[in-house]
Amino acid sequence: MEKRTSSPYPRVDRLLLAIVGVVLVIGTGLFMWSDRAHDWRFYQSEFRQLVAEKFGDDKAAELPEGVRQIWAAELSRADRCITCHQAISYKGFEQAEQPYRTHPVEPLKLHAVEDYGCTSCHGGQGWAIDTAAAHGEVAHWEEPLLSRTLGEEYTLAGNKNALMQMNCNTCHRYDRETKGAEAINLAKRLINEKGCRACHVVNGFGGTIGPDLTNVGEKAPEQYDMSRLSGQRTAFAWHMAHFKDPRALTEGTVMPNFNFSTEQAQALSMLMLSWRRQEVPALFVSGTPRTDPRSAEELKVEEAMKTGPGGWFVQTGCFVCHSISALGVRSPAQIGPDLSNAVEDVQSRFGVTIDTFLANPTGTMSVVLSRQIILTPEQKQVAIQKLREAFAEYQRQRGTPGTVISK
Amino acid sequence: MRLPPLIRTKPEAPNVHAAPLWSLRPQSDREAGDAVVSNFMLHWFPAKISKASMAWNYSFWLGTISAALFFLLILSGLPLLFLYVPSVERAYQSVKDIEFVITFGSWIRAVHRISAHLMVIVVALHLMRVFLTGAYKNGVGRGQQREINWVIGVVMFLTTLFLSFTGYLLPWDQLAFWAVTVGTNIASSIPAIGPEVRELLIGGRNIDQPTLIRFYVLHVVFLPGLLGVLFAYHMWRVRKDGGLARADAQTVVESPRTTDVVPTKTYTLLGVARGTSPSVTARTLEAPNTTVNAVPDLTRRALIATLGTIAVVSIMSVFIASPLEEPANALITPNPAKAPWYFLWLQEIVTDTTIRIGSFTLNGAFVGGVILPGVLVGLMTFWPWLDRSSHLTAGVWMPRERRRQNIVFLLLILAVLILTFIGMVLRGPYWNFYWPWEAWPDIPGRI
Repeated sequence: MEKRTSSPYPRVDRLLLAIVGVVLVIGTGLFMWSDRAHDWRFYQSEFRQLVAEKFGDDKAAELPEGVRQIWAAELSRADRCITCHQAISYKGFEQAEQPYRTHPVEPLKLHAVEDYGCTSCHGGQGWAIDTAAAHGEVAHWEEPLLSRTLGEEYTLAGNKNALMQMNCNTCHRYDRETKGAEAINLAKRLINEKGCRACHVVNGFGGTIGPDLTNVGEKAPEQYDMSRLSGQRTAFAWHMAHFKDPRALTEGTVMPNFNFSTEQAQALSMLMLSWRRQEVPALFVSGTPRTDPRSAEELKVEEAMKTGPGGWFVQTGCFVCHSISALGVRSPAQIGPDLSNAVEDVQSRFGVTIDTFLANPTGTMSVVLSRQIILTPEQKQVAIQKLREAFAEYQRQRGTPGTVISK
Repeated sequence: MRLPPLIRTKPEAPNVHAAPLWSLRPQSDREAGDAVVSNFMLHWFPAKISKASMAWNYSFWLGTISAALFFLLILSGLPLLFLYVPSVERAYQSVKDIEFVITFGSWIRAVHRISAHLMVIVVALHLMRVFLTGAYKNGVGRGQQREINWVIGVVMFLTTLFLSFTGYLLPWDQLAFWAVTVGTNIASSIPAIGPEVRELLIGGRNIDQPTLIRFYVLHVVFLPGLLGVLFAYHMWRVRKDGGLARADAQTVVESPRTTDVVPTKTYTLLGVARGTSPSVTARTLEAPNTTVNAVPDLTRRALIATLGTIAVVSIMSVFIASPLEEPANALITPNPAKAPWYFLWLQEIVTDTTIRIGSFTLNGAFVGGVILPGVLVGLMTFWPWLDRSSHLTAGVWMPRERRRQNIVFLLLILAVLILTFIGMVLRGPYWNFYWPWEAWPDIPGRI
């Protein structure tokens, strides 16, 4: 066998390889550490302690661990805010410091958090799990948390929390009044009072002297001329300054100075930024009809039926199948017989009196009265009473003299 | 019917290798030969390598580092394949998820991104090293075709750029969208067929879902596959051409020598090669004092280069976050909109050669974006046939005979570097020039 040649390399190269190995181990340790080093671990342990102090260790042990999210599928939002803000639905921390404060219950009653997530109202970056990124205080994220702090930065004249109302208006855009969105409501009133539509198109109608404002909130910050703006350089600040004094910002503009108060200018700026081209599923849009539209004629007839002599049959739901023509109630379906002469009709059909029949219905009515229209004995008495009245009216209309049917 | 029992019997024929594994410490020539045949590394590497080729400061191991980076890219790309969704509705979200909630996600993405950028740099440096040492030249060995390998190398460099460029679009953020817009708009300036070329590139007239899926498939299937095949061929040619060009130079310098002639051996793949293999005079290459065994000296250094690259990239990835800008928006152009950094010198030339006389604009995209890079790539590809210097300059750093072409080459590189620097650092909004100490106008926010 050939002799192995002597090599000068092993001495140095083995050392080099060893050093590379050590660096690799250090690198591995580093990236494992960097993956674990997140603030939420601290906040979760802190909250666990708070719960333990207040409600005992058993409750603390039940708290979920790790990254958590609310997946609002219809809005495509994965909001991981609850990873740190664990107290959101945990009663008893109403006065605690953030991120350990319980969310007020009232707004969540109408806006279930499973449907809306957090960021659709509060802003911020739901994907993120680190404070700065999640609160949107980072480059390349243009939806900051619409917090009180931000409101204070803009020295909002009214409610310092009002900036959040911009997001209310994403869905409530076509409301005239939205409960709780006072600033937006004020701005909407101003739009009508000051006649903005004389020059601007808003939602499809208005004048063409000024720019169309329907989607003005969509305009990118870079597209504003901020050269004459002092102070904060944001689209919001631009609108505020512009509402206060249009000519100071845009040379030669014909937009008049309406002498808006600071609060009014701020409210209008919020409204402007809220008018965006945002896709909202139809179910989320406030004011969208939930029933088939009815004509004025149909509504009138329906109203007349409800308030007329046969109103009881309409409210109870009998009219879904039965007309009571003698009392002016006309069923849209007319599946069942007209109840005007039910008093004698029941007798001839079933061979029992109306009282017996209602107490012990047979056939279809046994199903209806046991599953859909469930009447108490008292209500049944009312029904019999009403049916008698209808029959009397029926006979009066037919002109047949009263042949009283005995019980 | 009874099946024959499934027992692996030793082959009875004589001289058939029965051992499933090779021996690390062969006791005979026969065992050593077996090891060479059945071990990929030994298959790939020669049995012996000249000490000159082993030197850190000749090749700087740039080829090995490129390969290590490619390996790292495949490795880090695999988990990303499971996590990334190539659809315009979900791509951005999926990258956000990788960034924020996937275990090690941001690190994996950073490894992928940093390796990609480094690979462009290292492959370019490798190409420069080969040019400056004239390593595309054939030396004294018979049957050498190093110019072919140079051309393969140029194609691999272009493939690397295209791989990086296709990957650039995938996060579907503003950076991606507008870099690709700038890049593909340059292609559309080719006369007559420009718009069609752009349409072919992006699968339509707007950058949208067809572009994304096109770039995605190119990025994850076609281009890595192509690069893999080219890489295999590249390495095979290096073996066939007798190793690094420096080995040839060594032979020339050191021969004739008085050592005894050692019979040339031809191993494995080389056996099917035309001619009698890289027999660069057996006299010197196999002489005991100029060569060392490839195993373990060469394999150890390859390991140092590969693991070193992985270690460096791994640590860089912890500290350098990967950018992810706003979601792509065709209606809002970021200001300035820049091409990927390795194309910035072209974008800079495009603006510098755009001439405006009154309302008439002569678009520089054709000159800067098509003609110039076309000529440069063409020259680079065919340079081995244009270079008339002696074969003695193969594998020598900056030889006197090739001084002039090396200086021109270096000046071109310098020009590219300066233009890239200007494009990267000194160009601000509206592509206006800003010195490093001049502040850019700050970009306003929404609220």
